[in-house]
Amino acid sequence: MKRILSVFFIFFVFITGGYWSAYSNVGSIIYFYNPETNINNFATLKTAFDTYLVNHGGYYFQPFDDRENFEAVIQEKKGDIYLLSSWHLKALQQKKVPLEIALVGTSKGNTMQRKVLSTKKDIANVSMLKNTVVAGAGSEEYIHSVLKQILGKGQEALLKDIKILIVPKDIDALMAVGFGMATAAISAESSLDKLAMFNPNQFRELHSLGFSEKDYLLIAATLKKPEPQEVELLEVLRKMSEADAGGENLKLLGIDGWRTLQ
Amino acid sequence: MKMINFCKLLVLLAAFFATPGFAESSKVLIVNSDNTVYRYETIATEFKKVLQQNAYQWTEFNLDRHANAEEELKRLIQQENPELIYSIGTKAYSLARIHAHNKKMLFSAVINWRRLDIDAGTYGVANELSSAQEISLLRYFFPTIKKIGLLYNDKFSREYVETIKKDASALGINIVTQSVNDAQEIGEALDQLLPKIDMFWIISDPIVLSGKDSVRQIFQAAEQQKKPVYAYSDVFIEHGAVLAISADIATIGRQSANLAMMMDKDKVPGGTVQVPAGSTITLNKCVLDALQLKFNQDALDSVNKIVGCAKND
Repeated sequence: MKRILSVFFIFFVFITGGYWSAYSNVGSIIYFYNPETNINNFATLKTAFDTYLVNHGGYYFQPFDDRENFEAVIQEKKGDIYLLSSWHLKALQQKKVPLEIALVGTSKGNTMQRKVLSTKKDIANVSMLKNTVVAGAGSEEYIHSVLKQILGKGQEALLKDIKILIVPKDIDALMAVGFGMATAAISAESSLDKLAMFNPNQFRELHSLGFSEKDYLLIAATLKKPEPQEVELLEVLRKMSEADAGGENLKLLGIDGWRTLQ
Repeated sequence: MKMINFCKLLVLLAAFFATPGFAESSKVLIVNSDNTVYRYETIATEFKKVLQQNAYQWTEFNLDRHANAEEELKRLIQQENPELIYSIGTKAYSLARIHAHNKKMLFSAVINWRRLDIDAGTYGVANELSSAQEISLLRYFFPTIKKIGLLYNDKFSREYVETIKKDASALGINIVTQSVNDAQEIGEALDQLLPKIDMFWIISDPIVLSGKDSVRQIFQAAEQQKKPVYAYSDVFIEHGAVLAISADIATIGRQSANLAMMMDKDKVPGGTVQVPAGSTITLNKCVLDALQLKFNQDALDSVNKIVGCAKND
């Protein structure tokens, strides 16, 4: 019984992000939360990043699967570096949380991406999405907000008649359209390129009904002007792509490097 | 005085009928085969989350908590008169179907749904991904793989294997097959098959996977001939499979909820049983590195779990 309870306790503090309290006497910590994906890979992320960071200055990585817990540690100024999405950063800045961008993630040379609303070609316009299912990866709030932006003011009323199906990742959303579980998908433009590579037949069946505005890929932010320890950690992060293990870790986050904004 | 008492009675009645749960019967009845099973519990939780977000009401009936489940379920269906019954698991579906009497029916977490009696107005979400989904994702991770081999029993898996061949061919992959009549033939079949292929695919065939020895035999032969093994379940990762792709359980619950709401509006898209829309992927980095396999690193952001080499290796 004791064993079960201790396993349950470790699982609870780990998954809910309560793990940070165990780190009160260790080096700087990177906190991560991304509402643009719904993939449950926190244990893998934690192991991979901790292994790398501990060997590069004794730093740690703490992923969160819950927005509230992540925002709570920002409010309490627990972290040193926060990895988050551009959409989330804007939402926090609107709430006057003084997060500043330190680094932006890159993927194949790009720092920005846009989201696409894709359907099969028989869906000629967005009005045909009434009473249909739209698949997307990420939090419900995020997908809703992207869809709202793509539909625009003219078609915003459609939202109440669209059911959102949250799937783990972009390629699941795109394949859900191909295999008939959803009428449309919200995904990153780069995910459509991936579909074109591994299932060109399905890719050819799709077309785009709209795009979101461009946003940065993942962001590394700080709450204040970085102190020497945080500057060191940012440098470790920036150089991760130079080492094989570091590069693989970044791929887990969907990026291949970091860039400083000029 | 009589008038005052009458008014009091009216107020009490109004309060009684205004209480949620009395005003109208539940729209959805969830029948769960066994809520102590993680898979069923997760599906039910996600299903209820989506219903709640969309202001639907439901009643839940867990078969494992009732000694006389069939009688009690029958009574509950009569009492609640739900518009839709959502069954989680085969046992729940089989019982609910007997007493549903023309109600809209939805199921998930049913093994081999094709063997069920399915009436008109019944919809479901299958337990397993389609072979087309698996091959697509397999190709995403290993774009250079061209020949995949598998063992199967003609009696149990012929149709499925034909579907796999067709789906793979559409993506430029050649499926090389070898049928076996019983587990004794596995060794010889592997000797013939493995030299011709780039990867071995374990399918859920009761003859090929008839026992631990068969599984051990497959992985030993594959290791000796340095052939990677792909499997439909992460159970095989510890045996040495390089990749496992299966349905995401939580998505099945959410997908079922969307389907239930579409059924409620009579707006169900084509097809009675959908394949799961979400996938879970486990990658065995230890085997990947040992075999020096080329794989698409851009696919790493789609992996749920990466398994490394055990420290005592």
